[in-house]
Amino acid sequence: MKSTIKRRGIIVGLFLFIGLIILMTGILTIGNLHNSFVKKFEISATFDEVSGLQAGNNIWFSGVKVGTVSSLNFCKKSQVKVGMKIDQAARTYIRKDAKAKIASDGLIGNKIIVIYEGSESALPVQNGDTLAIGKTLSTDDMMKTLQENNKNLVAITGDFKEISKKILAGEGTLGKLLTDETLYDNVNLTVATLKSAALNAEKLTASLSIYTAKMNQEGSLTNNLVTDTTLFNSIKATVAQLKDIAKAASGITANLKLATGDLNNTNTPVGVLLHDQPAATDIKSTIKNLESSTQKLNEDLEALQHNFLLRGYFKKKK
Amino acid sequence: MKRSKEFVFTRRIDAFFQDVLNIHRFITRFFKELFRRPFEFKETIHQCYVVGVKSLLLISLTGFVIGIVFTKQSRPPLVSFGAASWLPSLIGIAFVRAIGPLVTALIAAGKVGSNIGAELGSMKVTEQIDAMDMSAVNPFKYLVVTRVVATTVMLPILMLYCTFVGMMGSYFNVHANELTSLTTYFQSAFSSVSFLDVWSAVIRSFFYGFTIAIVGSYRGFNATNGTQGVGKAANRAVVFSMFLIFAEELVAVQITNWIHGL
Repeated sequence: MKSTIKRRGIIVGLFLFIGLIILMTGILTIGNLHNSFVKKFEISATFDEVSGLQAGNNIWFSGVKVGTVSSLNFCKKSQVKVGMKIDQAARTYIRKDAKAKIASDGLIGNKIIVIYEGSESALPVQNGDTLAIGKTLSTDDMMKTLQENNKNLVAITGDFKEISKKILAGEGTLGKLLTDETLYDNVNLTVATLKSAALNAEKLTASLSIYTAKMNQEGSLTNNLVTDTTLFNSIKATVAQLKDIAKAASGITANLKLATGDLNNTNTPVGVLLHDQPAATDIKSTIKNLESSTQKLNEDLEALQHNFLLRGYFKKKK
Repeated sequence: MKRSKEFVFTRRIDAFFQDVLNIHRFITRFFKELFRRPFEFKETIHQCYVVGVKSLLLISLTGFVIGIVFTKQSRPPLVSFGAASWLPSLIGIAFVRAIGPLVTALIAAGKVGSNIGAELGSMKVTEQIDAMDMSAVNPFKYLVVTRVVATTVMLPILMLYCTFVGMMGSYFNVHANELTSLTTYFQSAFSSVSFLDVWSAVIRSFFYGFTIAIVGSYRGFNATNGTQGVGKAANRAVVFSMFLIFAEELVAVQITNWIHGL
């Protein structure tokens, strides 16, 4: 009986011991997570509005939790002085010119204080220091912007409503495009023309394809032009010769030009012949005189043939 | 309707107020006897064994099952919000603040409270308590004080076991779905739990333990009408202590929130 009582006492003791270990483990875990046993120092910041910040909310520095909000007190007119307990280990990294702002731990999370910026040249914060505050974008600000966007959206949808009404009524280019039968027919016609043009283009392309295939055929002129180097040299030589010919032709033309110039010049014999009217008349009369002279000479010569002096000569000749 | 001169209000209302007075006297007597010698250490240890160790399996199993069920039930809404990673925190808060103390207290009310009510009730109706009185043993001290002390001390310990086992049950479920490691799970679970939550749960469990044992002892100590009265005492002990546990929970939540500044 006594041993049973003793045994039960030991079991109850063990039971209590394990229970207390669970309690202590829980407390230590919470303590470590909340940094309850870490040495801390206190700084503060004065905000115009704290957006529901509470004592116990976390303080972040470079994304790391470095402390908690220890107190919230009204000061001056309607400002709130927020006391912050920061881990001593983070003190050297937080500078006196660092700023504090209120942010949110996720979209629907708790409010937190974020300590940011701070220059290398500034000294580390001391116990009791007051940090400057940074401008934060509160939910109200976001809602205001959202409200502005909503108004714009309403205006835009209103415009769209007006436009769609006009389109339905057949007003404007778009409206006509959608409602006008003639325009539709024209467009249809254009599309049909485009279709036939496309068909023609297709045929053309096919022909071109055949043509280019022929051009690529070995022995054809174009192919030789592209591939035969001797032909190219011949053409080159021909072109050079043509160049020389053109040069010579140019000289001839210059000479001809000079000659025609002379022809037009009334001081030259040819010019006189071509352009001098009195000279022409003289020549005409001279030719006429020559004609009559020749006639007379013929007659004279005829007479001579019958002259006794020369009759013998002409008889011999016959 | 003519009111009977025998009762101030009605029989039931008069009995209720009489009960209130008797419970007050019972509690006052408990505190008087608690600090009066001789201290029944052996019996107290025995009662600790009965209340604590013997209830451990039942409470642990219940806690484990509730841990799994609660996690399974909580996952779909959290997943739909894309907040499945908050599951350990939710379980941590739920178990430490509410489920752990409440489940332990309700199971203890059913097991321990009914046991005390039935045991003391049967001793009462079989006049064993009167016999003890006659043999110079203080029955109140031996039977009531030991049980109340044992239950008051054991219930917070049972609550710690229940919370731990329940969270382990939850961990198995979370690990099976999200492959979360044990360290990460417990860090995440305790990240949202404060010292106040833990101490509040421990202190509440003291009160629940005291309530269960006092109600059970009172009902058993005042049992009448033979074996029928024993059953009635056990039943009343369970029902009334459960009701009181919820009432105390309501008050405790108000006080905790007030301290939290909510």
